[in-house]
Amino acid sequence: MNDMRIAERVVDSMESKITARGVQVFYGQNHALKDVDVDILDKTVTAFIGPSGCGKSTFLRCLNRMNDTIDGCVVKGSIKIDSEDIYDPKVDPVQLRAKVGMVFQKPNPFPKSIYDNVAYGPKIHGLTRNKAELDEVVETSLRRAALWNEAKDRLKSPGTGLSGGQQQRLCIARAIATSPEVLLMDEPCSALDPIATAQIEELIDELRSQFSVVIVTHSMQQAARVSQRTAFFHLGYLVEFGETGQIFTNPKDPRTESYITGRIG
Amino acid sequence: MSAGLLSLTVLALAIAGYILGRRRAVSVAGGDARKLHSLPSYHGQSVFLFTAVPAFILMIFWLLAQPVYIENRVTALIPNIEADDAAARELAMADVRRVASGLDLAIAQGALRQADLDTLQAGATDLRGKLAGVGVALGADVSQYTFEAAREYRALKGSLGIGMAVAVLAAAAVGFAFAWSRISVAFRARNVSESFVIAMLIGASLVAVLTTFGIVFSLVFETWHFFELYPARDFFLSTTWSPKFGGGSSLGILPLLWGTLYVSVIALLVAVPIGLLSAIYLSEYASRRFRTFVKPLIEILAGIPTIVYGLFALITVGPLLRDWFAQPMGLGNSSSSVMTAGIVMGIMVIPFVSSLSDDIINAVPQSMRDGSLGLGATPSETIRKVVLPAALPGVVGAILLAASRAIGETMIVVMGAGAAARLSMNPFEAMTTVTVKIVSQLTGDTEFGSPETLVAFALGLTLFIITLGLNVVALAIVRKYREQYE
Repeated sequence: MNDMRIAERVVDSMESKITARGVQVFYGQNHALKDVDVDILDKTVTAFIGPSGCGKSTFLRCLNRMNDTIDGCVVKGSIKIDSEDIYDPKVDPVQLRAKVGMVFQKPNPFPKSIYDNVAYGPKIHGLTRNKAELDEVVETSLRRAALWNEAKDRLKSPGTGLSGGQQQRLCIARAIATSPEVLLMDEPCSALDPIATAQIEELIDELRSQFSVVIVTHSMQQAARVSQRTAFFHLGYLVEFGETGQIFTNPKDPRTESYITGRIG
Repeated sequence: MSAGLLSLTVLALAIAGYILGRRRAVSVAGGDARKLHSLPSYHGQSVFLFTAVPAFILMIFWLLAQPVYIENRVTALIPNIEADDAAARELAMADVRRVASGLDLAIAQGALRQADLDTLQAGATDLRGKLAGVGVALGADVSQYTFEAAREYRALKGSLGIGMAVAVLAAAAVGFAFAWSRISVAFRARNVSESFVIAMLIGASLVAVLTTFGIVFSLVFETWHFFELYPARDFFLSTTWSPKFGGGSSLGILPLLWGTLYVSVIALLVAVPIGLLSAIYLSEYASRRFRTFVKPLIEILAGIPTIVYGLFALITVGPLLRDWFAQPMGLGNSSSSVMTAGIVMGIMVIPFVSSLSDDIINAVPQSMRDGSLGLGATPSETIRKVVLPAALPGVVGAILLAASRAIGETMIVVMGAGAAARLSMNPFEAMTTVTVKIVSQLTGDTEFGSPETLVAFALGLTLFIITLGLNVVALAIVRKYREQYE
């Protein structure tokens, strides 16, 4: 597999899917994210890079309100998806999370069969009317996650029995089975070997045709390979946000340049 | 030399061995401990272990074997008429032991002299009077053969005691010398004490396993005796339980088993929902502060003595159920009932279910919850569909522990459900359980020869097999349905 391949930089749409303005996050006394403004385009892969503890995962978790599950976490500012404020009291975070899927750092398939893993979301949201429809959703999700050929003969065997890369693709299939509009990925390849990583990256590029994908990564090569837009976070600030090629070849901020050349981290 | 003094001596020797061995190791290395393969304290430890452990093992076996040997030798002195019948022989031996200890006391207090003892004739002197003088009352005059047997008993005990002291001290000394001679710069004392520790750990676990076998074996043995006296068919299939010590009793286990199961099921119906739901609340919803405050409070329930629960059943729950439920519904007017015992027992086992389940639910990785919440599941859907299935084996284990506590419980049943064996569906009637009947068959003046007492062992064994079967079945169920996370 050619590791040097670069994703198509041309974006299909200039429509912004997520608009964040003045986002601040506090964990108790700790001011984790300071005044972040971001516009995430539809049908685009946006990468968040930055050193550990810079707030990129925190910001990602704001986008589907997973931070609500952490005690003492306060989010200020406005985050709009399709011009609807997701922190509005009228918004049900549970519904929101079905619309904004998430894939985690470590593959976390449920200890159920492969089929039940994928069917989990559609079942709890009542997306299908009968077994045949559910079967179809499971199949299309697994196909989109490029896992169908490996898993079609063992749908009843436990998802935890798959290899690490397959497990992560299963988690992606599980996330896209609820037909989300945005897919958040928190370092999805950090627990995987290079081959599985390449498969996932290829998958991300394909998923772009249907979803807006936001990926947090520690690997700058990965960000360069898969994304069209890149945001660089440092010490809780969004330092620079722009077209990926520009960020990596011609950064405007000296801190971005120091980071991508390996001088701060 | 008494066993206590002997152990102290061996221990002192071993401690001296530790200090000396350590010192010798340092001196062998020329004062530089870095040259040794092992730290000096390991050399000391190896001397300590080789001195103490073999000596103590020898002492334990000697103490176990000695009474058997003495018994055999002394029984030979008792005339055949009495020695033929097991019960009579046991009685005669009890006499011998009593006279022997009386003689010990008499000599210690100066009423008799050791030298006189050899020439003494039981008939000629008023031995009974003399022993009564030092505080040992005998039921009858001491016969000549009892006296001789007692004399032999004392002599054997004395010489074997000395023999033991010599043998144990010799073992300690040999171990000491052996370990001492092995100390050198290259000696791997660290590895030696490591394998010694492993051997001790294996020994400790063997003791636990062997004890289990011992318990089962003793039960099986007595149960066998029982079935020789009483037909097994009647025991397992008869529906009446009415032991009569005059004979002609009917000893059917069914009413007792029914009572046991009925009470336990009610107890679990109380404990499992309350325990499990509170465990879910504590582990998934409650704040950390609330949890650290409430969990110990629930665990206090497990620490209350069962007799106190019994009182609670007897004076509070029992009358309450009778006045508010049983009598208005026309289901009886007894304050002792299966319901009373079941409810109180259920309260008792709540902490077994809740505390263990709470720990187990907490052990389910947070990533499982994140995964489910991230898909838009509500917290309660997450618990039902992801967390509980993953925690299932542990939760079933907790429920089983509660069930075995409930099945084995006695005090609450006696005070809450009464002692009348009965086969009835009415939960407001008095019934009783297997354990209560085991106690009542064995208390009082009994001898282990009649089916009325031996039945206790058969009951015990049946209960044991049932709980064992319960465990096996539950294990199989868990293995089939469990959802294993990594």
